[in-house]
Amino acid sequence: MLEKENKFSEQIQKTFHSAKIEIKRSKRISVQLRSDLIPPFLSYAKELLDFKHLSHMSCVDWLEDNELELVFILMNYDTSIQIIAKTRIERENAQFVSLKKFWPQLETYEREFHEMYGINFEGNDRLGEFILEDWNNKPPMLRDFDTRKYANETYYQRPGREDAQNVRETVSKHSGEEVPEFAKKYSIRNIDDE
Amino acid sequence: MREKETTLYLGPQHPGITGNMMVKLKVAGDTVVKAETHIGYLHRAFEKLMEQRTWTQSFPIVCRICVPEPDPNEENLARAIEEIEGREVPERAKYIRVLVLELARLSSYQLWMAGQSGSMGLYTMPQWTVGDRDYILDLFEELTGGRIYHMYIWAGGVRRDLPDGFKGRVLKVMDYLESRLKDYDKLLFQNALFRKRAEGVGIIPKEKAIEWGVVGSPLRGCGIKHDVRIDEPYEVYDKLEFEVPTHEGNDIWSRAMVRRQEIEQSISIVRQVLDKMPGGDYYNKVPNPLTWRIPPGDAYVKTESVRGEFGYYVVSDGSDKPRRVHVRGPAYAHGITVLEEVLKGANIADVSFIMNSLGTCPPEMER
Repeated sequence: MLEKENKFSEQIQKTFHSAKIEIKRSKRISVQLRSDLIPPFLSYAKELLDFKHLSHMSCVDWLEDNELELVFILMNYDTSIQIIAKTRIERENAQFVSLKKFWPQLETYEREFHEMYGINFEGNDRLGEFILEDWNNKPPMLRDFDTRKYANETYYQRPGREDAQNVRETVSKHSGEEVPEFAKKYSIRNIDDE
Repeated sequence: MREKETTLYLGPQHPGITGNMMVKLKVAGDTVVKAETHIGYLHRAFEKLMEQRTWTQSFPIVCRICVPEPDPNEENLARAIEEIEGREVPERAKYIRVLVLELARLSSYQLWMAGQSGSMGLYTMPQWTVGDRDYILDLFEELTGGRIYHMYIWAGGVRRDLPDGFKGRVLKVMDYLESRLKDYDKLLFQNALFRKRAEGVGIIPKEKAIEWGVVGSPLRGCGIKHDVRIDEPYEVYDKLEFEVPTHEGNDIWSRAMVRRQEIEQSISIVRQVLDKMPGGDYYNKVPNPLTWRIPPGDAYVKTESVRGEFGYYVVSDGSDKPRRVHVRGPAYAHGITVLEEVLKGANIADVSFIMNSLGTCPPEMER
């Protein structure tokens, strides 16, 4: 059933002994690696296993572990099997090597993660302002960046549109009509109380 | 004598630009020497916002990531949640999902035809196709309550069943759209001027296409047969019969030819779905959305949108909110890496033309 997936897993395990490999389902292989093994692994997967297509690269903040997880999702066009290669790096002063030589679009992902997670990708000369403009705060996708606090300090509320105001009650006050009984049940305040 | 190089800013306010983005062009005479994509005009921090919303509250956010074709986003998020949780979806819901995805695909083709023709000054086509698209939007309004953003597909199935008589109305619209194809052919696809403008322009070298991350019709326009619906069938695509057209040429003309044939395939898929749709439930009820927790895990799911592979990498830490939802829109590669390469040596007048053929859609680049 998972013949091809098993074959790839065995090949990877033989070459990267420390890799933790799991076949998640048909066409999905998860490979967990040490961060220094990611460049040779990507090169191996692309050139020798024919995983030529980079579907995606992602970053996940594991604040409680003080780590960032980098995820590379590759695809083999002949079998449509995808490898999800993951590694974790230190969260403070996060550093990683630029891998744009393998796939040019990695340059764009690295620019995004530099801006959003503060990772410095050595060898990428386009790191800098990308999506955000004049941003001099903490990288905003980090989980300890408080979006609500930032928004409250940066923007003002239009009178009558303050946060946590019960919209139905406000509308009913302005219109002079009572809030229907069924609607009272679903007000935000009631949900919080529960 | 070497021509003086000038910097031109195409967008963010320009009729030829494909949404809220800008391309900084260095030009020598009429020829582009270097192009740089600038985004950030449409960043709404959707991915960050979802980390602070419950799983169900994330659905009205994701559909806004693609205006012309929002439904792959809903379907992807729903399927990722279902994969992590191990939730089954009723067969009828899967058919309805495919129906919605294909209707969205058809409506997106209409907008592409409008954009591709409009960017070469053929303004009749946008009038026609945007008008014809409205018939599909009417169907969406009846089915989901929304014309553009539907919030209809969600974890466990779809939000409601098909209304009475809906099947007949969909078939009527399909018949109408099929009858319009000959008009589109006369005006656009068999138009000698279009062919002259599109052939040999916006070339993606076949040997570079996969490495650059090209997907969808631009990839099939390089003669590479790949379609997520065939290679990793989701929902009920494995029970439907359709072809994956390809075209050699690697240029705008090839992409247009591929899309023209795909319109016919989509109409055929819609008819098959309506014919084969079983009865039964349309929704496998999820627990209370306000307290619903998804077990820890991650999933990468993808659909074939009009512009290609639309992927979602979703991570759950076991809480009632996503740990991470990361969107892979086709435009992320098409609009930055590929566009910057393809525009080198292009004529200024072809820039918007090329962008439309690649489907450079800023909301999915910056989310």
